[in-house]
Amino acid sequence: MTLKTCWYETDSRFIPGHYQPAALIDLALSRDIDSHRLLRGTGLFHDDILAGQSRISPQQFLGLIDNSRRLLDASDSSFLFGQRLLPGHYGPASHALRHAQNLHQALQTLIDQQALLSPLAAPRLLLDEHYAYVHWLDSCGADEQWRFVLEASMTSMVAMSAWLSGERLPWQCSFRHGEPRYVEQYWVHLGEHTQFDRPLDLMRLPRHCLAQPWPNVSATAGQVARIEARDQLDQLGFASSFLDCLYDYLHAHVQQTPSLEQTAQAFAMSPATLKRKLHKHHTGFQQQVDRVHTHVALYLYQVKGFSNEEVAQYLRFNDTANFRRSFKRWTGSTPNLIRQLLMLG
Amino acid sequence: MFSVLRPHRFKLALLLLAANFGLLLHLASGELKPIAEWVWLDILGEGGSALLALVWLGLVLKSRPAGRVTNYLVLGLGCIFFSWWIDSLDEFIRLPDSITWDHWLESGPMPLGMILLTLGIYHWHREQLAINGQMEKRERLFREHRLFDKLTPLGGADFLKHELSASLEDSRRRQQPLSLLALDLDNFTAINQRFGHGEGDAVLQAISQLLVLNLRRQDLLCRLAGDRFVVLLPDTGESQARRLALELEIAVRSLAHKTRQHGERLQLAASTAVVMAFDESPDALLKRLNLALAQSRTTLAKSA
Repeated sequence: MTLKTCWYETDSRFIPGHYQPAALIDLALSRDIDSHRLLRGTGLFHDDILAGQSRISPQQFLGLIDNSRRLLDASDSSFLFGQRLLPGHYGPASHALRHAQNLHQALQTLIDQQALLSPLAAPRLLLDEHYAYVHWLDSCGADEQWRFVLEASMTSMVAMSAWLSGERLPWQCSFRHGEPRYVEQYWVHLGEHTQFDRPLDLMRLPRHCLAQPWPNVSATAGQVARIEARDQLDQLGFASSFLDCLYDYLHAHVQQTPSLEQTAQAFAMSPATLKRKLHKHHTGFQQQVDRVHTHVALYLYQVKGFSNEEVAQYLRFNDTANFRRSFKRWTGSTPNLIRQLLMLG
Repeated sequence: MFSVLRPHRFKLALLLLAANFGLLLHLASGELKPIAEWVWLDILGEGGSALLALVWLGLVLKSRPAGRVTNYLVLGLGCIFFSWWIDSLDEFIRLPDSITWDHWLESGPMPLGMILLTLGIYHWHREQLAINGQMEKRERLFREHRLFDKLTPLGGADFLKHELSASLEDSRRRQQPLSLLALDLDNFTAINQRFGHGEGDAVLQAISQLLVLNLRRQDLLCRLAGDRFVVLLPDTGESQARRLALELEIAVRSLAHKTRQHGERLQLAASTAVVMAFDESPDALLKRLNLALAQSRTTLAKSA
């Protein structure tokens, strides 16, 4: 695997203010929130955003989300925001989404153009015999804003696929957090079969939905838009976040379990710098390693149908008991229990 | 902030002038007390009361539209402030014993202010009764403004849950049936996508007004989330609830809503579902209602 040498971090200023942040600002303004109070402490100015000149960092965007959440003070904010996110008005990348021929192509575009289309949350597509799974990863250490980002991201996917396909697709969503007080928002915006306290932030739908052709699509326009969007990414100089690059690296080398030093070397930085960068994203090295281990283990259970012994062996654990202990530490639950939870609904 | 004060600028200017006039009159005819003679407890009590009266005045002005009732309240509070203000002045300024007008200035406005304030509060009460009439079918005996929906003039999901548990209790005690009705607009996302989210909000507001008009006095309409409304139907069995649901569907379909920008007619339609309460918790009942709605929508999609 080749390692991308360039990525964005939580303080890289590259998100155009009139892209995703504008959707949130418009929502707040439509609810009579004062723009000064909304932007307070974010280092942003409404006039700059209107002029189309401002570039903001994920950190500033998260600050804006924090302000909006507090000022809007309504349980549907994240869902309304999500409905406005995709395909969005983000130049060629949005065009490419708009003219995707089916859900599969739309998902592929979203994953390729994630830096432009969904800078805070990275979707990953997994397939098994019956289902397509979209797994969302925290790209920038959203910390306490993660639930908001996640609700918005999943809603954006559900709303976009409903709009472009012309029908409500049978998405089923599962969340790692517990059932919130405002569960009715999940029912209305994400579907009645939403589940909580699950091992992953995941949405799935029957695999055949991926290939169903979408109406009113221009294949040529889509093709050209994808090329233009790729050019835009080249100009930007990165396609994914530091955390996502680290995730990919650890995922590719999961059987070797690289140490902090080895990883730092692979990323051409000192271990101290790597630690500092992780700290900036509200996380630590062991936390990231555990996360990858958990995801790989769950993938092997669900998609490959591995047994406990096989998973333990794959992850190079000496014995199964040791693996079960570690797994309990990662997920707070035993492998067998998690396997039951994985069989969604 | 200043737009709130604008209709009251003459009254406020008058109050300011009167307070100044009182101060000047005291200064002209009396002499300042040295700090050693100040009685801090009295200053705190009387000065604090005057300040509080000013705060009340500000809150009344900020929370009420201008009008007759507001005028009573403002004048009443203004008089009370003035009288407390004069009262606190003599803590700092000693007047010679020969002067008696200060007594009049201090105690005269108080009864007048009290009468005006009482009048104001009485009319406020009448006004509230009128507003309650308008709020019928949207709230009951219980009010909590933090549970109001931010977009439509209805209660939100939390308000519904609160009322639902009370009604469940009530229906169990009286051995009467209780039904719930859910209504969900079809293709609401398409309206948002095509006409913008502002238009979507306008549709929700129009629909909430329309549904209120089509309900009975004892029914309670709330907005659960997004484009989904729930009606609480006390003393109602399932078949009657179904009939009401059908009426609501027809009402939505015949609403000729026009877009704000071009006055274009929107074709609206809604799906409904009805459940009757068994011996279950409010949360379980709501969950069952929403599953029933999902069910009715899928059968609709298949038959279409």
